[in-house]
Parts: sequence; C-alpha cells; structure tokens
Amino acid sequence: MKVVGARIPRYDGIAHVTGRTTYVDDVRVPGTLWVKALRSPHHSASITRLDTRRAEELAGVHAVVTHADVPLNEYGHLSALGIPADEPLLAVDEVRYKGQPIALVAADTEELAAEAVAKIDIELEERPALIDVRQAFDEGAPKIHHWGNWYPHFEDEMDRRQIRKGNIAEAFERADSIVQGVYRPAAIEHAPIETQVCQVVPEPSGRLTIYTCTQALYFSMGVVAAHLQVPLNKLKLVGGTTGGGFGGKVDTATETMCSLLALKSGKPVKWRWTREEEFLCSSTRAPWHMELATAVTADGWILGLKMLTLHDAGAYARFSPYGLTKHSFHHTGAYTIPNLEFDGYVVFTNRVPTTAMRGFGVTSVSFAIETHMSRVAHVLGLDPMEIRLKNANRIGDTSPNGVVYTDPSTVATMQAIAESIGHELPAEYRTMTNERRSGELLPEHLVAQVGNPEDH
Amino acid sequence: MNLSVNGVTHEIESSLLTPLLDVLREELGITGPKAGCHQGGCGACTVLVDGEPRRSCLMPVAYADGGEITTAEGLGTPEALSPIQQAFVHHYAAQCGFCTSGMLLAGQSYIDHGGTDDAEAIQTALGGHVCRCTGYAKIVEAVAAAARGDSFDLTETAVGKYTTMTTGTTGGAA
Repeated sequence: MKVVGARIPRYDGIAHVTGRTTYVDDVRVPGTLWVKALRSPHHSASITRLDTRRAEELAGVHAVVTHADVPLNEYGHLSALGIPADEPLLAVDEVRYKGQPIALVAADTEELAAEAVAKIDIELEERPALIDVRQAFDEGAPKIHHWGNWYPHFEDEMDRRQIRKGNIAEAFERADSIVQGVYRPAAIEHAPIETQVCQVVPEPSGRLTIYTCTQALYFSMGVVAAHLQVPLNKLKLVGGTTGGGFGGKVDTATETMCSLLALKSGKPVKWRWTREEEFLCSSTRAPWHMELATAVTADGWILGLKMLTLHDAGAYARFSPYGLTKHSFHHTGAYTIPNLEFDGYVVFTNRVPTTAMRGFGVTSVSFAIETHMSRVAHVLGLDPMEIRLKNANRIGDTSPNGVVYTDPSTVATMQAIAESIGHELPAEYRTMTNERRSGELLPEHLVAQVGNPEDH
Repeated sequence: MNLSVNGVTHEIESSLLTPLLDVLREELGITGPKAGCHQGGCGACTVLVDGEPRRSCLMPVAYADGGEITTAEGLGTPEALSPIQQAFVHHYAAQCGFCTSGMLLAGQSYIDHGGTDDAEAIQTALGGHVCRCTGYAKIVEAVAAAARGDSFDLTETAVGKYTTMTTGTTGGAA
C-alpha cells in the first residue's frame, strides 16, 4: 500500500507541459494525402444515385472509395461477442442518420479533398425521420431499421433485457402509495479537444501502419482487419496517446476508412475531423427514456419497482446491447428492492449512433433512481436522506440479477454526504453500518432476498 | 516574412493569410500548439505573440510578421522546466495534455502581467480555454502556485526518489 494516496508523477507529464507529446496530428509523413467524407445530409433517406467519376477525374485526387471497395462492409462493434452486425462501414442504398459516411476522397490537400467530395453525384430520397426514442417505440411508428425499431438479438433471441424478481403483483397490492416518474437524460457529446484523427501509412512490406487516437487499440485492430479481410499481422497500430476520449474514441471511426484509401492510393493518408464534424457526426452518449413506478409503504420502504427503459441506440446497435445489460443489472442503484419487473429495450432512431461514455448504461439509471428516491420522499413527506439509508444496500442483500453484496458502500456514502452538508440525521441513521440486515431493518418483505456473501 | 519562434528566427514561405497555427505546425514543424477547433473556440492553439496570448488559428501569419512567438516548447525544456511547467506537473494539471499548451501560455501571460494567485482572476484569464478532462480546478491551482512562486521537488514520491522519469514522447508515434 506504499503508493495509495501518494504522489506519483505522471509518466507523460513532462512531455505534455513541454509540447513534446506526439499526438496523431503531430505525426509527420511526407507526401501524406488528406481525407474528406461525403456524408448524408439527411437523417433518413434512400440513396437513388451515387457516381464518383467526377471526383475521381479531378487533378490531385488519388483515391475515392465507396461501399463497393470494402471487402466486408458490415461488421458489428460487438461481432467478437457473437452479436450480429447491422452497420455498414459506408452506406449502400440507404442512410439512417445525418452525417453517415457514404464515400471518401483522398487528395493532395484538405481543400482539394473537400472540392472533390462536392463533385460526387448523389441523389437521395428523403424519408421521415424518427428522432425521439419514445416515438420510435410507438406501435405505429414507421420501421427505420431492418431488425425493426428495437434490437431483437439478446440471448435466446429475446427482444429486450428482462428481469423478474420476487412477486411484483403482491408488492403493488400491499403498497400504501404508488409513486411514478419518467426520466429522460439527453444525449451528450464527448467533445474531446482532439477531434477524431487518423494517419495510415502503406509500408513496402504490404503492411499498414495506422496511427490512431483510439481508446481501444486491440479492439480497433480487430475491426479494421475484419472489414479489410486481412490477417492481424498485416496491421501495425500505433496508439496510446489520446487527446481526450471519454468513451467517444472506442468506436473505430476513422481507421478502417483511412486504411482503404491508403491501400487504394498506395500513399499515406490522414483524416482529421473538423470541430463541426465532431459535434454533428461523432457518436454521443445515449439519450434514455425511463418510466418508473414504485410500490412504497407510508414509512418509506420500497416494496417493488416496475421499470420500462428505452435506450436510444441511434441508427445502429454498436455497444448499446452491452450498455443496456449493465443498466439492467444496476437498475435499483444503491438501494435494495426485493420485487422487480424490469423491461429494457435498445431502440433505434435516426440519431447518430450512441456509444460508450464514462459508465454508460449505469449513469442513466443512477440519475433516474436518485431523482425518483427524492420524489418518493417528497410524496411521503419523509427525509430524502433517511429513506435512502433505510433502503440502502447492505451486506447480504442481492442485486437485481442476484449478486450478493459483500461490501456495499451506500450507508457510509450517505452518512458522509449528510455530514458534509450539515444535514442532521437521527442517531439510528448516524450510527448504522452496512452489516447484514436484522431487527427493524429486516422487515418481512426483505427476508427472502437476503443471500449469503460466503456463497458469492 | 520573418518569425522569431522560441528565440529562433525563421523565413516564412506560407502565404500572407495562412493562419499562424498552420505556419507553426505545417511549415515549421512546431506541434506544441494544437488544432482543437480551427474556429477560435477552444484555446488549444494559443501562443504568445510579443508576450500577448493569441489564438494562432485565427491570426493570419502576416499580422505576426517580425514578431516574437512563444510556444510551450519555448517556455522550458524537459531538463529545465519553467516554473509554470513545474506547477502543471506537480498539480496534475495536464491530463490528456491536448489543451495544456494553450493553458500554459495563457497562464504565463497572466503571470507576466502581474497576475496573483486569486482564483477568480485566474479563471477570467483562462476563460476562453476548454479542457474536457480535469474540471479546471487543478489547472487553476497550478497557475496560482506558479503566480505565488511555489517551488516543487518533482522527483518526490512515496516510494523514494523517482529517477527514471522519461522526457521524450509518450509512445504515441515516431
């Protein structure tokens, strides 16, 4: 424990403060071409015509690629986990979000690449777009994804994450009150100061050297290799220096497309997204729609929770099934609720695909459950701190998916918060610990859920 | 045109209206200033022009002709860090590092103009600089420490003197 709480210098601190750290944009490779993308101008449309000849004929343009140039155009971010692919690297006959890449150009300068993109012949038939996750879940909503409007491939081909625990009907019958709430945290753009950037150099050996700002180097390596249908030993990825990511740099946003252009042109290429592209086209934290109904007693016990979660995946699945799974496991937050009926869906909309961001899946439900706990306290006229301590996770309590807590921290955390804001707690709450429930803190409705940490 | 960058004079070949940032990065290969937005919005490209902080992405190089430019590379070297660079290392004010060079130069200019360790004044001085990692508190602490003239032993750790601190790049690229 010599280093816990100690000062350890950052290994990269001195390079950072002297301007010596080499980010991807700082790599200098002579003869590098610049990349620009033709992106969908619509949230939803059919592509009725795509002809890149005028762009290819422009002097100084060295390569133009479309879906026809991609050896394996559809490969899912979670394909390695057996989750089927739904997203084309480059759009084929339809676009499902504004900013979706359709074609790419590599040219001598950034300005020339942009000029060539403008010369690509494209015709689109715009369709109505679904932007709100709740509307996309409506029975009568137009179908915007070939799988339907929500992800249908959870285990056993279920179309949702479902959790059933205890006896929810009995909990709602026994309740003194039922408290309901709807919570809708919005999308958040990661906005790293370094925008998405990639430099690819074709080597004489036939390998590609890929300088990447990715947060997930080996992950990106697998994704590039799969799209290009080449063995991993044809790729050398150079990473480890990320100018801010926060989850937004786990999607392999640029590496595969730059590799295609480098292979086709035989020259080094570089793609640096503009700030505008970063805001409009990069993935975001998901918007969520969460409906909660709790069965509560007049003295503040939470007997049961019914919850419907709609997780906005944007146009394609990416990591959302994984995010929703985490969400479902944590959906009671820091509290123990013995009777549960949870249904969660990964819903498709015509927004940019959503992705990882700092605890994704869990932060959304923390927001919902914490706001809801305060709402319950308000409805019952109870202290919001005391109701949290009463229902706090304790040793031996079980999570929604049956994990036995061995050292939950809700009690200590709430006590520290109360103290730091000068909130007087009654003695019984000030001195309580997270030890196994007994006495007044083990009412009949909680007995059946208590497990044995030793079995865990 | 001529620019003196970190004490070295360069003949400039770029056209008059080329942004100073592009001249520094692309013509001269000085990559400390970063292209975070190319719109004057983030501050990562800030350099000192004759001692004043300037958004180099918005300034045509002709406006800096004959001027003295300072970038992060010119504040101090890995072997001899300047006080504000030491303060940033000590206070962990650089996380991903991408905004750091702009923050350092804005902070240095604030101190050079007689700025004190007053947190509110420092926040005003760094007002146009965006950082997405730190939450700003550590950056403000570092500028305050440098304004006070605090001194640091950067080799001090709990496990004895740290003697193998690297000073090169962080392994990102050649």
